Amino acid sequence: MTIVYRKRALPALGLCRGVTRRALLGGTTAAFLSQSFNRLHAAADSLGYVHAFGTSVLDRPAERVVSLGYTTQDPLLALGIAPLAIRQWFGNFPHGVWPWAQAQLGEAKPELLVGEVSMERVAALKPDLIVAIGSGISKAEYRVLSRIAPVLMHEAGDAVYGTAWDKMTRMVGRATGKSNEAEALVSRVQNQFATARARHPDWARKTAVAGYHWGGETGAFTGADTRAAFLAELGFKPTAPVLELSGPAEFYARLSPEDLSPLDADVLVWVSSFEQAPDLVSLPMRKTLSAHREGREVFAGGLMAAAMSFGSVLSLPFLLDHLEADIAAAADGDTQTIVMSAEKAGLLS
Amino acid sequence: MKNWIWLFLLLCAALGVSLFTGVRSISLDQALQAFIAPDNTDPVHVALLYVRFPRVIAGLVCGAALGAAGMAMQALTRNPLADPGILGVNAGAAFAVTIGALLAGRADGALLAFLAFPGAAAASVAVFALGGGLRGNASPVRLTLTGAALSALLVSVVTALVLMRGETLEVVRFWVVGSLAEARTRPLLVMSIGAVAGGAVLLAVATKLEALALGETLSRGLGTRPRQVQAAVLVAVTLLTGAAVAIAGPIAFLGLMVPPIARRIAGASLRPGILASAMLGAAVLLLADVAGRLLFAPAEIQAGIMTALIGGPVFVLLARRLSPGAIA
Repeated sequence: MTIVYRKRALPALGLCRGVTRRALLGGTTAAFLSQSFNRLHAAADSLGYVHAFGTSVLDRPAERVVSLGYTTQDPLLALGIAPLAIRQWFGNFPHGVWPWAQAQLGEAKPELLVGEVSMERVAALKPDLIVAIGSGISKAEYRVLSRIAPVLMHEAGDAVYGTAWDKMTRMVGRATGKSNEAEALVSRVQNQFATARARHPDWARKTAVAGYHWGGETGAFTGADTRAAFLAELGFKPTAPVLELSGPAEFYARLSPEDLSPLDADVLVWVSSFEQAPDLVSLPMRKTLSAHREGREVFAGGLMAAAMSFGSVLSLPFLLDHLEADIAAAADGDTQTIVMSAEKAGLLS
Repeated sequence: MKNWIWLFLLLCAALGVSLFTGVRSISLDQALQAFIAPDNTDPVHVALLYVRFPRVIAGLVCGAALGAAGMAMQALTRNPLADPGILGVNAGAAFAVTIGALLAGRADGALLAFLAFPGAAAASVAVFALGGGLRGNASPVRLTLTGAALSALLVSVVTALVLMRGETLEVVRFWVVGSLAEARTRPLLVMSIGAVAGGAVLLAVATKLEALALGETLSRGLGTRPRQVQAAVLVAVTLLTGAAVAIAGPIAFLGLMVPPIARRIAGASLRPGILASAMLGAAVLLLADVAGRLLFAPAEIQAGIMTALIGGPVFVLLARRLSPGAIA
């Protein structure tokens, strides 16, 4: 029995980005190297990008864009650009576009790329830009894709899936000649967070943790993870043990089933890909958490969990609209207020 | 006899260590309290009653079942490198769980655990049938090859489904590597009964299985009906392995590495060998689970990975010491 999971597993949401068995493509390296040197020289103009895999240069703002990152369709759509193709992450939505972005998609019908990236399909679309931030492609795949069109990767200082939503939006905006629009989008979302923080000044003094329980494993999302970042944008701090478990390249920390106390924050948001979580409801150790006993649990299931996982310029405002009331009910210090999502998921019993 | 005392002490030690070591330190006093007056809001009590205790039981049942099944498989196929996995049982269980998760799409661990059993059973019946068992000439080599081929087929289907539908199927990840961590949610009681039944069948046919090892013609001369014995052993192995898989998922290499050591303790006779293999299997699995719990605490390594880490080198060692035609 050997199944190799060469992917970054995102527990709780069941989501594994980069489900690819990487073919090592060799042989043509030298040609690419000289090519990128030429490009480096041209990088003086405004559309040069220095990133984790080297340098990419666009001759002019892109119009025909293939979105290979698992979440990059969102900033593209937000900027009014319908990608030619979208990478399937998870979910069963047409063209891989989730409800929070469907209005922006309009009549466009991007191709859906499932599983490994097919170079032939990408090439057939004749793109002038390939956005591969947070795509998990290998350097070998990057080299081949670069022959098709300039490829946008994550910056060297960021983890593969760790590009923050605002940075991602700005990078995509610049490549498509829509820097001003991108800036406006970013500040609009930042304002929404700022107003939410202003409505709940007490959140800055409280702790919140996004936790998961999936397939027998319980853990917390940490550090640069989109789910942890959302709670941070609202002003919350993680609990001390979760902070300790956070590293720059770590997205989640698995916890011992014997000790779930790191999750015991002022607000505990359970992230689950399902609307109901029988395994979580019946988890005995959960009942020892004061967050449970004092009604401070929020349940982010299904669509909400996906919006948290995307953590994009489009999904974040959607998330804020839907989850703010629940988080406020959990954080209000009154054990009697009912958190609707937790009640619906059966967490209150 | 001395060997048996050591084996018994080892098993007791493994049970004790498993119950009393972990991320939380639990004193004997607290443990007694937890059993006498359980308090479901006390994390120590909950850790003992709902995390460690089910794990100990699961390790005991699962390890014993795999140890006994491994011994039986090696006797049946006359191949010291045989393992319950070669009957395709693990792959069958993983396949059934995958299909179940695909159709039901639910995060319900207990439901999927129940699916593992028919999957394991169907795979072993298929291997027996394809290996010639229905025509009455299931030779060891044929069974081994059929098992390997069916495993490969089922695993590639599982892999393909997981690659295409990663999100619904991450649950399968936990069926690819065995673990005792979820014992609480698994059908422990039912599966324990299944394992005990399998063990009883195995002990009942053990002497006939030994006769079978002399070759079919000779065993017929001794009054054994090879096909019936083979079928009975397969039923027993399926019950044992199916129960183990339903409780803990596929635990690699345990059924392979334990029998040779058990034979040293109990001698060449099969019936005591099965008992020794069961005791040793339980002890090894419990200790592997403890090691996995402590190595990178607070994160845990699945017991299935730990047994594979220990079992891999043992496999190579056995294969190297193998002389053609001998049963280790």
